[in-house]
Amino acid sequence: MLENHVSDKKSLFPTGAHTELREQKSRSRRVSLVQGNLTGNERSESLGISARVYQNGVYGFSSMAECSGSAAEKVLRAAVANALFMDRHVGRGKGPLPVIPCSDVPAGRAIQDTDQKQYIEFAKALDAYIAGKYKNLSSRSVIVSEDSMEKIVCTSDGCDGHICAPRSHVYIVLGAESTSGSPLELFHPVGGSGIFSENFTDPALLYPQIDALYEKLMHKREGVHAQAGYKTVVLGGFLSGMLAHEAVGHTVEADLVLGGSVAGPALHKRVASDLVTLVDFAHTAFGAPTPLPVYLDDEGTPAEDAVLIQNGILQGYMHSRESAQHFGMKPQGNARAWSFSDEPLIRMRNTAVLPGKDKLEDIIASVEDGYYLLDTTNGQADTTGEFMFGVSMGYEIKKGKLGRALLDTTISGVAFDMLKTVDMVSDTMEWASSGFCGKKQPMPVGMGGPALRCKVMIGGR
Amino acid sequence: MDNSIHMEKSIQEDIREIAHKTGERLREAGADKAQYTVTETQTHEFNVDGGEFSLFRTLFGHSLSVTAYKDQKKGSASTNQFDDSAIEAAVRDCLKSAQSGVADEAYDIAPAQESGTFRDGAYEPDIDLFFQRTRELMRDIRERHPKILMEQMIVSHDQTHKIYRNTNGTEFEAFQGAYAVSLMFSAHEGDAATSFFGSDICTDRLDRPFIELGSLEKDLADTEAQLSTVPVEGKFQGVILLTPGSLPDFLGNIIGNFASDGCILDRTSIWLDKLGQSVADSRITLSLCPGDRRIVCGERFTRDGFRSKDYDLIKDGVLKSFCLSLYVANKSGFAPAGNSSFALVVEGGDTPYADMVKSIKRGLIVGRFSGGNPSVNGDFSGVAKNSFLVEDGEIKGAVSETMISGNLAQLLNSLVAISRETVENGSSVLPYMAFDGVVISGKESGAQ
Repeated sequence: MLENHVSDKKSLFPTGAHTELREQKSRSRRVSLVQGNLTGNERSESLGISARVYQNGVYGFSSMAECSGSAAEKVLRAAVANALFMDRHVGRGKGPLPVIPCSDVPAGRAIQDTDQKQYIEFAKALDAYIAGKYKNLSSRSVIVSEDSMEKIVCTSDGCDGHICAPRSHVYIVLGAESTSGSPLELFHPVGGSGIFSENFTDPALLYPQIDALYEKLMHKREGVHAQAGYKTVVLGGFLSGMLAHEAVGHTVEADLVLGGSVAGPALHKRVASDLVTLVDFAHTAFGAPTPLPVYLDDEGTPAEDAVLIQNGILQGYMHSRESAQHFGMKPQGNARAWSFSDEPLIRMRNTAVLPGKDKLEDIIASVEDGYYLLDTTNGQADTTGEFMFGVSMGYEIKKGKLGRALLDTTISGVAFDMLKTVDMVSDTMEWASSGFCGKKQPMPVGMGGPALRCKVMIGGR
Repeated sequence: MDNSIHMEKSIQEDIREIAHKTGERLREAGADKAQYTVTETQTHEFNVDGGEFSLFRTLFGHSLSVTAYKDQKKGSASTNQFDDSAIEAAVRDCLKSAQSGVADEAYDIAPAQESGTFRDGAYEPDIDLFFQRTRELMRDIRERHPKILMEQMIVSHDQTHKIYRNTNGTEFEAFQGAYAVSLMFSAHEGDAATSFFGSDICTDRLDRPFIELGSLEKDLADTEAQLSTVPVEGKFQGVILLTPGSLPDFLGNIIGNFASDGCILDRTSIWLDKLGQSVADSRITLSLCPGDRRIVCGERFTRDGFRSKDYDLIKDGVLKSFCLSLYVANKSGFAPAGNSSFALVVEGGDTPYADMVKSIKRGLIVGRFSGGNPSVNGDFSGVAKNSFLVEDGEIKGAVSETMISGNLAQLLNSLVAISRETVENGSSVLPYMAFDGVVISGKESGAQ
């Protein structure tokens, strides 16, 4: 466990200013096997202390790559000086932040280290299975990754806590040639919150997922280009999760609302069909832990769920303490920092569209001419709500039946227009947690959703 | 400037001493070969959010990264702690990882080379003048581009002192410092709002207003001009004119899909057998030039420990090199790349930008591309953001919800023209480039 060098420094906090002192250790482990070649075999550790001070509407921040009492005192002095500098030159003249009732959030779990050999042997076992069983692949990669953050958060006027957030994943990438001779790839992540030995006990447990990925790749070998245009589609759970995060989530982060996002004038207005409810879950959803639970943020705010859209009406934003004060709303624990040297930013946690009442097979059967889109490679969105997702796997739907597989394509739309076209929502959902959200700093996030029938623009030939 | 913000650096060790200790520990631990880099950094950064100053931060960092080889097995470890036990742990972790690894004859380090010390840019910041230039930029934008709302502006001075050593006796040392200005903005008027746009500058001089650097002034004006949009009717094949802002995405995908480590190692690159052959229009020369005088604080030595050299990836349309690390070079039999940077340089052509626009029968000026990861074979599709419709040589207006799709390899052979003008933003030197044969589709094409 991280030794605490910050909690006894509260007496040094400046009076009349909101102050955060954070000690943090981040670790990452990664093993990459490409065609059986060990191309990556890395371990990294990063730790240090940072301080942030809020004075009359501006922040001063400083950090050092050292964990000690003297480092804590030095970053605190520098952060105070930086805040005073900004106040003197910029002078926004805002008052103090509202106080949050103090409590102490204990460490939920300890992060145990894993020997590098275990990652390598696990990756080699998966690679041997793929190489032995599937001779017609043109390429294969197995990546084992574990990252973790351990933080001690100490605040002047909020909760304190010692929090640990490990996650571990295995990524499988399979490649083959299409029937026309072009190279194709498909990718599948497995894993989530927790250390490697909790999530991965036996490589054989992943074999069925590799087999399923291979089967999809074989369908894709025979794939066709989507017809470009405005189409009726069924978005699978991974795509509706991406939609929740990229296309809606970012526009309702309060800092982006202040930066002019489309959600500013849309508050309390209809932005989706009444079948759509969208929540940024903190640590528990549907009676189970979320993919990446968050209990306390880095401003000392206890994490609770943020309801963003309820039955199609935009209900609120995600906040830091400062933005919550600006909008007269309640902070719900969204201010998070990636590294010890990063300041907290408004970030999503586990953002999801809630399931509905339709059966997936009924949704597919209802589409006369469209597409069923399953997997995504990446997504981007704009503050206007215009989004783009790469689609790596999908199928045609003709007269209610699944048809040929699709080659890689892209879908796009404007979130608050597209969500109004949602007219069927499946009763099951899928979660994903293997990626990073990028917004000045990277951040692990969860996202999820049910299958949605809706209309989007699809790229193609 | 108040001196109190300059935190004392008593904790910062002499990184030469850290390098020495690391070498000693590696020798004691029995590494056959090794390379290691010790870095110390200092950052002074101002943030603007929603158009107002929000944060001033000063960061003091350091790091040690070690790669060691034992019995032709390789392991890597990094730490940001410099005490003796942390150095020892990093070396131990590194060797232990190597011993757990897979032996491969292709693992190697750079040979002995003449050592070098490099000093680039503005190593010591002038924080007072930097802050004044930043305030001046905010004022210039307010006065000259009143419809612009600054979502976020991050300006920083980044100082890096780095030492690289390997067990073949090579040592490089670099002292670099530069000012970075990164803007994210959109335009607003009444209920109308544009997509956000990002513009970046890297400079080592503070003698000119920031708004005059790179393409910042044009980017702001173009974004304001995107407030009113015109519909794109139907689906058609047309010309895309890529700006110096959108070009790096396309060139980066071309390098990633056809010329980089991953696609050469797994042999999925469609250029695998094209070295020395034509892969592009003969007017295209694409180079990676960290040593170019227009690149600020470019890379001086590679991640593998070679002294960086500028090189042509494509010269007069012919593929001259791949962008390979030493490992993949050894594995594939191709030569390692001259550098490991992304300092793109494409020199200007012979067509004025205005004439390029006039020559377009139907197409788009693409300011930003928001696309899915291209297929391994180079097929791409995505949204043309911050883009303008051109018909019969005239800019008709900005577009929304318009997609483009094509193939990256075919694009290089469908060049229409390269602009005479180039944009130098400190990180790259790029012109405007127009390509034909791209599928452009508007929402109206299949609206139901």
